[in-house]
Amino acid sequence: MSAPVLEIANLSIWLDTTTGRRQVVDNISFSIEAGDTTGLVGESGCGKTMTALAILGLLPASNTHMRCSFIKVKGRDMLGLDGQQRRQVLGHDIAMVFQQPGTALDPVFTIGQQISSVYRRHIGGSRESANRATLKSLEQTGFDHPEEIVRTYPHQLSGGMKQLAMIAMASICHPAVLIADEPTTALDNTTQALIIKQLQRLRTAHGTAILLISHDLAVIRSLCREVLVMYCGRLLEKTDCTRLFSTPRHPYSAGLISCIPIISPQRPGSINTIPGQVPVSTDLPTGCHFSPRCDRTVDRCQQSVPQFETDGDHQVACFRPLP
Amino acid sequence: MHSVWQRLKSDHYGMGGLLVVALFALATLTVWTGLFGQGWAEVSGNSWESTSAAHWFGTNLLGQDIFQRTLFGAATAFEVGLVVTGFSTLLGAILGGLSGWYSKGWVDEIILWIKGVLDSIPFYLFAAAVAFALQGRPWAMHLAMIVTFWTTTARIVRGEVIRIRQQEFIEAARAIGLSQLTILFRHVLPNTVHILLVQATIVFVAAIKTEVILSFLGLGIQDGVSWGLMLAESSQEVLAGHFGNFIAASAALFLLLMGFNLLADALQDATDTRGAMT
Repeated sequence: MSAPVLEIANLSIWLDTTTGRRQVVDNISFSIEAGDTTGLVGESGCGKTMTALAILGLLPASNTHMRCSFIKVKGRDMLGLDGQQRRQVLGHDIAMVFQQPGTALDPVFTIGQQISSVYRRHIGGSRESANRATLKSLEQTGFDHPEEIVRTYPHQLSGGMKQLAMIAMASICHPAVLIADEPTTALDNTTQALIIKQLQRLRTAHGTAILLISHDLAVIRSLCREVLVMYCGRLLEKTDCTRLFSTPRHPYSAGLISCIPIISPQRPGSINTIPGQVPVSTDLPTGCHFSPRCDRTVDRCQQSVPQFETDGDHQVACFRPLP
Repeated sequence: MHSVWQRLKSDHYGMGGLLVVALFALATLTVWTGLFGQGWAEVSGNSWESTSAAHWFGTNLLGQDIFQRTLFGAATAFEVGLVVTGFSTLLGAILGGLSGWYSKGWVDEIILWIKGVLDSIPFYLFAAAVAFALQGRPWAMHLAMIVTFWTTTARIVRGEVIRIRQQEFIEAARAIGLSQLTILFRHVLPNTVHILLVQATIVFVAAIKTEVILSFLGLGIQDGVSWGLMLAESSQEVLAGHFGNFIAASAALFLLLMGFNLLADALQDATDTRGAMT
C-alpha cells in the first residue's frame, strides 16, 4: 500500500441561494492512493461536482462557503496555499476532465494550441518540446494521426474525440490525481469504453490516482477499486467495488444497484425504481436523509444521523444495514 | 473565421458593400502613397470651372480641383475611421471585458459609472468642448470620438463576457491553473472577436459620419480637406448655382456609408452563429 496522494477530511459546503443558505456537502472524508481509482456515486444534485470543485479550490467564492480540515494533494495541504501556489498545483499535480466535452474546450483555439499551452504553463521549455509532448500525449491517448488532430478546432471533432483530447490535455503533465466528473455521461456506449480504457491506461502507465464521479454504476464497476456512495451531501457507504455490487449494506446502495436496467430477453421492460424522490436540499429530512424513502426505516433513523462504523473495509452509515 | 467568410461570400449585398469599401480604401491608399490627390491645395484653374478633362469634377471658388479634394477627403475619412475604430474598439474590449469579468464588483461599478457619465453628455456638445479645450491640436476630434464611442462596444462586450464566463471551458482554464486575467485575455476576449468585428464596422461608419459633421461645423479637420469642409464651402456655392463641391462630397459620403452599412449588416448575419453551431 502506497501513501495516499489525495486526502480530504471533514469537507462541508454551503450554498447561498435566494431562499437562504443550504448545506450541499456534509462532512465527508476520503483518501485515494497512487494508482488507485475511487468512484463517487450518487444522483444528480447530491454534491458530487461541488466536492470536485472544492478539491480544486474552484468553488465560486461569492455564493459558497466551505469548511474543511484539510485537502492534501501529494501530502501538501491545498487550503494553506496562496493563489499562485495553488495555480501551480492545478493542471500539474491534479487535473480535471469535465462532463461536457463540447463546451470544455475553447472554441477559438486548436486542440494543439490548448494542450501545448498546459505543458508550457507548467513544464516550460521551448515551443518545439511542448509540441512534441502534445503529439505524444495525443498518440498515447489513442489518436492515430495526432499531427492532424493538433490542427483541428474543437467543433471539427466528435464528442468522444473531444473528450479524449481533454484526457490528453489533463494527462500531459502526468498529474498524480485526476478528477473525472461524469466523463462519459454525454457519450455513447462505444465511446464510453474508449474513455474508460484511456483512464485505465493513465492509472497503470503513470500511477495516476483517479476520482471518478458518476451516476453510472456500470462505468464505476468497470473502472473503480473503491466506491463512495453519496446521497444528499453525505457519504452513506464506502467499500470495495466488488463487495458493493455483491453485498451492498446500505439500503440506498442496494436500491441503486437494483435499478440498473438489465438487458434481458426474458424480462423486457422491467426497470426497478427507488420509491419517492430525492428531497430538495432546502428541505432535508431530519436524521438519515434517506429514511423517508427507505423500507427499513425505524424511529431512530428519523431522529439521529447514523455515523460511519469505523472498523473494517466496508463502512456504512446506517442503523439497520443489510446483512 | 473561415466559415464566416464563406457565408459572407454568398451575401450579394454584403459583397457589393465590400467592393465599394475596397474601392474607397484603394483611393485612400493612392493618396497615402502619394500617387493621387496631392494637389488638393493647389490653385490649378479659375473659379468654378465646370467639369473637364483637366478637372473631372470642376473647381471651387479658389480654383482648386474638386476631384483631388474629394479623393483627399476619402483619405481623411479613412484615417479618422481607422484611428477612432482601432482605439475605441481596443478600449471597449478591455474595459468591457474587465467589467463583465468582475461584474457586480467594484471594477465593474467604476467602469459602469464612467460609461454612464460619458453617455449622458450630448455628443456634439462634448466634441465641441474637447475641440475647444485642445484648440489647434489636430487629434482633438479623434480623442472626442474615441472617448465617447468605446462605451457601446464595452456594453456589448460586457454582456458577452458574462455569458462566456459561465461556460465550462472557463472552468477548465481555471482547473489547469491559469490566473484570472490570463483567462480573461487569452480565453474570454478572443471569443468576442466576432462581436468586436461587427461593432468595429458600425463604429467606423459612425466615425466617418461624425468627422464630416464636425468638420462641417468647424470642429473637425484643421489641416487638410474633409468632405465636411467641402460641404461647408458648398453651402455658399449652391446659392450661386455651383454644385460641384456639394455633389462630389455628398455622393462620396453616401456611397461609402452605404457600402459600409451593407458590409456591416452582412457581417452581422455571417457571424451570427447562434443555433447554427452547438
